[in-house]
Amino acid sequence: MVSTRSQRQSFLGPDSEKVLSSGVVVIVGLCGGGSHIAQLLAHIGVDNYKIVDPDFVDDPNLNRMVGSTPNDAIEKRPKVEVIRDLILRIRPAANIEMFATKWQENHLPLRSCTAVFGCVDSFASRNELEAYCRRFLIPYIDIGMDVHELASGRYMISGQVIASIPGQPCMKCMGVLTEERISQEAQRYGDAGDRPQVIWPNGVLASTAVGMFVSLLTPWDKQSELVPFIEYDGNSPTLKPSSVIAILDKECKHYPIPKGLGDPMWNGIASDFLKQANALQREAD
Amino acid sequence: MKLHAKITRSLFIQILHDLARPHPFALERVVFVSFRPADLRDGILLLANNLHTIRDDDYERNDNVGAMLGSGAFRMALQFAYNNPVSMFHIHKHDHSGIPRDSLVDRESSVQFVPDFWKVRPRFPHGTIILSKDSMSGLTWLPNMRRPIPISRFTIVGTPIIEVYDGKHSIAAAEFSRPRQ
Repeated sequence: MVSTRSQRQSFLGPDSEKVLSSGVVVIVGLCGGGSHIAQLLAHIGVDNYKIVDPDFVDDPNLNRMVGSTPNDAIEKRPKVEVIRDLILRIRPAANIEMFATKWQENHLPLRSCTAVFGCVDSFASRNELEAYCRRFLIPYIDIGMDVHELASGRYMISGQVIASIPGQPCMKCMGVLTEERISQEAQRYGDAGDRPQVIWPNGVLASTAVGMFVSLLTPWDKQSELVPFIEYDGNSPTLKPSSVIAILDKECKHYPIPKGLGDPMWNGIASDFLKQANALQREAD
Repeated sequence: MKLHAKITRSLFIQILHDLARPHPFALERVVFVSFRPADLRDGILLLANNLHTIRDDDYERNDNVGAMLGSGAFRMALQFAYNNPVSMFHIHKHDHSGIPRDSLVDRESSVQFVPDFWKVRPRFPHGTIILSKDSMSGLTWLPNMRRPIPISRFTIVGTPIIEVYDGKHSIAAAEFSRPRQ
């Protein structure tokens, strides 16, 4: 049975409320994409969050960061606090851990989560985050959008949502992450200035990403397979499964299992850890 | 201390298929699965990386138990742990629904064979996992601990993601026991 709060989404399954509530999500990047995702997850009933962003709210974020206010920008509030407040307004009992750092400085909490949402700006960041998720068997959902200025003076909005599931094709398999793109991006670093970003494509992509997450946890349509790569054309505007899917291998060549799992340097349980565990058992006895 | 085990869906399906194969005389099958351990903030993460099938010839006849492994089966598992930095888990399946519990025979045999793995891979956790028709449970022995520690969470990583907390699965039992290919 689902609660009255969730009765309009009861088609997700009789256990869906419990499943969504017990899931643990990590959101890396809390501005245009991540703020939307946090809000949507709170509405569908996720109760456990680890939110990661080292930045504070600034004036240029106000055009797209859901939940941010001019006062947050004046006070330069950390984005993690603004998003925590946003989640708690919708889901007062949610457990939220905030990390106002780069994810690499607090990476252990990622390892045991149900899924990581990556809302990062660059190909290099995506590459690093996906590689980490693969190493620890973490499903990774990535969203990205860009506004490109064409030679004709027109602008083109494009984006994508990708579910990168360990053992299945990765973003390199899908052609989204290439060495060429990563190195071109590194060469442009510092030249590009502020890249254009707007709220509505982020909303479309975040909604699609949360839809993927719900399908992964409570597969409500047994006839449909998860579409792991969805492309967004903001000019048409349309969302469609990428044509790349048809030619993907079932398995990933870049992060093959069993290679590359876990900490390469892990060589046994730390003695402190064992002492602590032993002490806990003695207490229980 | 928490123990969280993760298995990819494709490996989990391989395990189920292997355990479901009839044996010439044993009533059930057993597999070993190796895991790469990693630190969590408050425990250990176990990442399944290989299935180690046991050959028909490595079972011994014994009417008192569903499956009795011979020394060749243990030698194979020990050799793998010797050559690779992995934790080894003995896995079998109980033919019922609900949370599987280890029987007296299961517990007695575990206490005998688990310490052997510390001879080849000391300071690593090793243990046992039992599957049922719709759930799973596991016990992990850590060096010098008085008792084994239960695996509190399993995640089958794939589409869908299945999480099992303390033996309670998170989605429909049918998904768990008859996973899609």
